[in-house]
Amino acid sequence: MTDTPAAAVEVTDLTVAYRDRPALWDVDLEVPAGKLMAVMGPNGAGKTTLIKAILGLVRPAAGRVRIHGRPYAEQRRLVGYVPQRGSVDWDFPTTVLDVVMMGRYGTLGWLRRPGTRERELALAALVKVGMEDFTGRQIAQLSGGQQQRVFLARALMQDAQVYFMDEPFQGVDARTERAIVDLLKELRSLGRTVIVVHHDLQTVTEYFDWITLLNVRRIASGPVAEAFTAENLRLAYGGRVEFLQRQNPADPAPGDDEFLHGFGRIRP
Amino acid sequence: MSAAMLEIMAIAVVTAAGCAVVGTFLMLRRLAMLADAISHAILPGIVVAFFLTGNLSSPWLAIAAAATGVLTVALVEALTRTRRLREDAAMGLVFPALFSLGIVLIARQAGNVHLDVDAVLLGELAFAPFDRFAPGGVDLGPRHLWLMGGISLLDLLLVLVFYKELKLATFDPGLAASLGLAPVAIHYGLMTMVSLTAVGAFDAVGIVLVVALMVGPPAAAYLLTDRLGALLGLAVLLGTVAAALGLALATWLDASIAGCMAVGVGFVFLVVYLVAPGRGLLAELRRRRRQRWSFAEIMLTIHLLQHAGQPEEDDEARIDHLHGKHVGWTPDFTRTVVAGAVRRGLVVREGERLRLTDSGRVTAGRALSGSA
Repeated sequence: MTDTPAAAVEVTDLTVAYRDRPALWDVDLEVPAGKLMAVMGPNGAGKTTLIKAILGLVRPAAGRVRIHGRPYAEQRRLVGYVPQRGSVDWDFPTTVLDVVMMGRYGTLGWLRRPGTRERELALAALVKVGMEDFTGRQIAQLSGGQQQRVFLARALMQDAQVYFMDEPFQGVDARTERAIVDLLKELRSLGRTVIVVHHDLQTVTEYFDWITLLNVRRIASGPVAEAFTAENLRLAYGGRVEFLQRQNPADPAPGDDEFLHGFGRIRP
Repeated sequence: MSAAMLEIMAIAVVTAAGCAVVGTFLMLRRLAMLADAISHAILPGIVVAFFLTGNLSSPWLAIAAAATGVLTVALVEALTRTRRLREDAAMGLVFPALFSLGIVLIARQAGNVHLDVDAVLLGELAFAPFDRFAPGGVDLGPRHLWLMGGISLLDLLLVLVFYKELKLATFDPGLAASLGLAPVAIHYGLMTMVSLTAVGAFDAVGIVLVVALMVGPPAAAYLLTDRLGALLGLAVLLGTVAAALGLALATWLDASIAGCMAVGVGFVFLVVYLVAPGRGLLAELRRRRRQRWSFAEIMLTIHLLQHAGQPEEDDEARIDHLHGKHVGWTPDFTRTVVAGAVRRGLVVREGERLRLTDSGRVTAGRALSGSA
């Protein structure tokens, strides 16, 4: 990889530790703008920690993060964030429209209230994710897929250059997954960068064009065609990749045929 | 009602309102018990400030108590961060330590300054009208009304001004932090206001029962609405109603005002819990009853469908068979279910036998395929 200053996300020597247990160890990454990147690795590999450290939600022990060439704190307005769906209380007394408008709170800044303009933007975002019939709905009444669409609409409200999404496909139905993928590709076609914590090895080549494989340390990072190899998967997941159905991975190295009879599911 | 009584009522009402405002956010953050911890732990702050000023209504008490309250939260969080014990255990360690420090200080009080333990624990609202706020000799009412009124007004103003920030920091602190809306600062701001409100409220209800005013009204309001704005409004309304009811009860029984106010809160919660549309107990019972009947009707259609066209159909479709050996319903229950099913057009009655209608067949089929 060349060191272009235009990289959407640049992470250098990032180390995060919880107490004395390292969650991320000396991770380097460089994601060019306009890429759709999967962050993958086994449980406890530090995928969520990576995103949280980039967004300043956990304090790194060492390392540097740049968003489009500058520290995150100066680039907040360029960044959109979709936390894990389970990280919030869906019994919170509020409506779908209200949650979506929260995506605008950063742009509004302190003290300014959302108004008509935010309302219109939120309605447009809800149309984009196919949730326009749910605007006044109490959020506790939504299904998992619908909750995820609401979170996505909220991220669209941020109108960001770089999106970080933590497991947006977790527990959603096939139709929602399709809708989310279409949306991610649309964002990419607009030149936005999207970084997604992902679990399903089967859909990597179909959904993404860039990938980072983590297991506390960075195993590989780059174009799917180069980095998503059997060898790297073995390094990231160890022996825990089950050989399921045949898969058509990028760049199958000779001699890997047996391994590449597919690596669909990961044993927890 | 006498003037003194009116003044006491006014203090009780503004106390309840302020407690309900901060209590709503404590409840939504699942920190309801922190209200109890803070209200106890501020005691040493109150005592030290009282020793220095000699006045229970001095604003220094509020400031010292707020500082102690924030210290409590910081200590609980520091203990939790060690991961050697959980948050509830950390609370259980910190607040008794500080609270007992306050008790010891009271017992060892210096000189002729007198602070009554009962007054601190249970409040002394009945005496509040004697302590006047009279700058320049002009009587402006009880000093405590001004103090508590000011605190409650500040609660309300801060919540209105930082409404958007409080809402996001409570619902999704991760997003709030990534947007730069400082959820940690908001958290400590809220905890400061909880401490201030607790010290203001302890005069009215005492330290022990502040938690009732902070948790009860929002919990009751939560049963009535699913909008944050309405939740705040209803919590304030229910809190003030409970305070007024409690005060009336205390006058009538000539009993402890603090105790009666807590009873008032409990009573208001109970009433709301019973009659709340949608989430109340009565609504729940009604819903379950309806479900029971409609389930029984579906069971009836399935029973008839399973035996339709079978040799035993003639026997199985008899009404008395339903409360006989197979289905095991009581005759009364069977009569009501059959009547309901006939009314809804699921079955028709032919003498003592039942026959499934087309609509009944569809109902049974849908239930069996699991989509009903």
